[in-house]
Amino acid sequence: MTAVVVEHVTKVFNKGRPDEVTALSDVELTVGDGEFVSLIGPSGCGKSTLLRLVADLIEPTTGAITVAGKTAGKARRDQDYGIAFQQAGLFEWRTVLRNVELPLELRGLGRAERRARAEEMLALVGLADFAGHYPAQLSGGMQQRVAIARALAVQPPLLLMDEPFGALDEMTRERLQGELLGICAKTGTSTVFVTHSISEAVFLSTKVVVMSARPGRITAAIDIDLPARDEAARQSERYFEHVTAVRQALRGVPAESAP
Amino acid sequence: MRRTFFVLLGVVIFAALWEGYKLVGSPDGTVVFGVRVLPRADDLSMPHLWTVFERLGKPELTGGRPVWIVILHACVFTFGITAAGFVAGALIGLLLAVLMQRFQLVERGFLPYVILSQTVPLVALAPLVAGWGGTIMPAWATVAVIASYLSFFPVAVGMLRGLQSPSASGVELMRSYAAGWWRTLVKLRFPAALPYLFPALRLAGAAAVVGAVVGEISTGTRGGIGRLVIEYSREATSDPAKVYTAMLGAALLGLFVAGVVSLLEVPLMRHRRHVEVVTL
Amino acid sequence: MKALPPLVVGVVAIVAWQLTVTLGRIAPFILPAPSAIWAELVEQKRNVWEAALASGTNALLGLVAGALLGVLFAMAASRFRPLAEVSIPFAALLSALPIIALAPILNNMFEATSSIPRRVVAAIIVFFPVFLNTLRGLREVDPIHRELMHTYAASGWTFARKVRLPGALPYVFTGLRQASSLAVIAAIVAEYFGGLQDGLGSRITSAAAFTAYPRAWAYVVGACLLGLVFYLTTLLLERLAMPWRTRLIA
Repeated sequence: MTAVVVEHVTKVFNKGRPDEVTALSDVELTVGDGEFVSLIGPSGCGKSTLLRLVADLIEPTTGAITVAGKTAGKARRDQDYGIAFQQAGLFEWRTVLRNVELPLELRGLGRAERRARAEEMLALVGLADFAGHYPAQLSGGMQQRVAIARALAVQPPLLLMDEPFGALDEMTRERLQGELLGICAKTGTSTVFVTHSISEAVFLSTKVVVMSARPGRITAAIDIDLPARDEAARQSERYFEHVTAVRQALRGVPAESAP
Repeated sequence: MRRTFFVLLGVVIFAALWEGYKLVGSPDGTVVFGVRVLPRADDLSMPHLWTVFERLGKPELTGGRPVWIVILHACVFTFGITAAGFVAGALIGLLLAVLMQRFQLVERGFLPYVILSQTVPLVALAPLVAGWGGTIMPAWATVAVIASYLSFFPVAVGMLRGLQSPSASGVELMRSYAAGWWRTLVKLRFPAALPYLFPALRLAGAAAVVGAVVGEISTGTRGGIGRLVIEYSREATSDPAKVYTAMLGAALLGLFVAGVVSLLEVPLMRHRRHVEVVTL
Repeated sequence: MKALPPLVVGVVAIVAWQLTVTLGRIAPFILPAPSAIWAELVEQKRNVWEAALASGTNALLGLVAGALLGVLFAMAASRFRPLAEVSIPFAALLSALPIIALAPILNNMFEATSSIPRRVVAAIIVFFPVFLNTLRGLREVDPIHRELMHTYAASGWTFARKVRLPGALPYVFTGLRQASSLAVIAAIVAEYFGGLQDGLGSRITSAAAFTAYPRAWAYVVGACLLGLVFYLTTLLLERLAMPWRTRLIA
């Protein structure tokens, strides 16, 4: 079963008004099980819109979206995905632990089970010692890790991330990228990841989807095959070749198939 | 336009509630366990709204001037006191804010008292300030002192926040221009403080009205609307609608002051947004 | 260390006040000396206490009633948009009016010999800041929280309970802080307008009428202490209700 199927999706905002905008035009996308797909493109290319459509935060104007074999709306109600945004969006009045517990609480899990699961997730992102802290006591990178732990808490088959590391500094960003890959490998989660960093997209993904603006559409899909995803990989020849390929695709040079 | 409509709608709803309660409420109020929890609905306690408006047109005393003229005069008198108190209070508030911004020690020493002055009911001093009337200042000025006491506070706190609002980069930019404290104040801090100042002035205006009304009552100053409320309320048993006409006058004064204060900002705030400051 | 500058200012002010009054031979009706006020306060402490208790009860009942109404009404207005559309400008307008002047009317509507009118005045005055602040808090929800709860398929009630209400709490307390001192002021000042005379307000006016100015000032000090108690209690409640904020300060 494929994690996400997007078929002939078009999204028009403010339809029929003078400020009508076609955010997405006839988009097709498939995310296989266990795949890590990055959406990359200039501002206004509709990459976030596409992610929100998959999350059923907004509805497509035309076309169909299938998540885990169901409609996007059904998948949302069944909590078949976890989501993280650029801002951590933690609840300042809840401790770190209770923030991670929130989605479990809403699923009606018992107190003990909730707590155990949340602690497990916090250990996964390396914040076990901060369970009793309030969000305002944490740094930006730590808050973002809590948000990821929260997204993973329901152990969803699919993870949706909208520039989750966008507001962090380069060092924190690279460390979290490594952690994220480790978590995805461990849990077997499929991921859709929105970014505007080429290096981030290449390092994380099994497939990079390049989009262009006005109207938003997909111009290329580049498969990435790195033998390993570690610090050495960031320096490898293969890695730089992929970076160049994505860069060219972004500039509109026809993409060669990956070497 | 929309706002005006909604306010008018609110007035209509209020009038409907008033007359509706008169229809269904018990004339002697509702008494539960010896405590009257709902007010009396008889014409003596809650006259019909039209009676109140009719009363405005009739003479104050037999053969005297119509009530609405008396009330208008009283409003003008109280407005004068309010304006004097407001201007004095706002100037003191501005001065305090500038001093507190300039000298950290002043801020640390005085700000707690400025805040304290609002948490404690120092308006209770009003009857004591009354003693000053006729000796060290005219009677009306004591009322203005009370009004200014109530209005200085929002200005001082709002303006201080405003003066402190420019970012460090803005201050450093001025420093790179070799601008001194005064030029930084005039070119950077004052303009930056305007969005904070005007909401504070509105609060100060409302507070000055309350101060003037309360001040008139507790100092026994004659001629103003606050005094009229008290005088007319004593006639409530014989002429119940009269006190409501005075209330209308007080409300009108409050509205008028609020309107005047918001006019102040029109030339300066055309392209800017307000910043509400939590004063307490 | 932080308390030093205000402490110095306070002591200097009181000493300066004492010296001005005694050396400048200022008549007590203009300004009595702090020492005279203190002596009266000690002598009258029973009366001050009783009057403060009466005023404090009125203020507390008014505060609780007004605050409850304000919060409930704000919740209703945040639920039904038209209600908010009408009530926000209307309430903003009303709060610019001298509501305290309602006191004599309420004395007519209820009984001049009961404590109800003063409590009602306090409640009405308290209502506006609590209502306006709470409503603002309820309406301001972080868009990310909104989307997040949507992805959790949370119901409207769950959303209100888990996000809206806790998010509005700081705003409720902003309103309550303002309301707490307003309630005390209203309960005291309402007595200037007549009605039952057993609180601090009437003691101040009657002492002033008998030209017993130091005694009047002693009651004012009592009123100040009452106001402080209300304000500090509200601050304490705020700390207790929002531990995520206090931890930051600690």
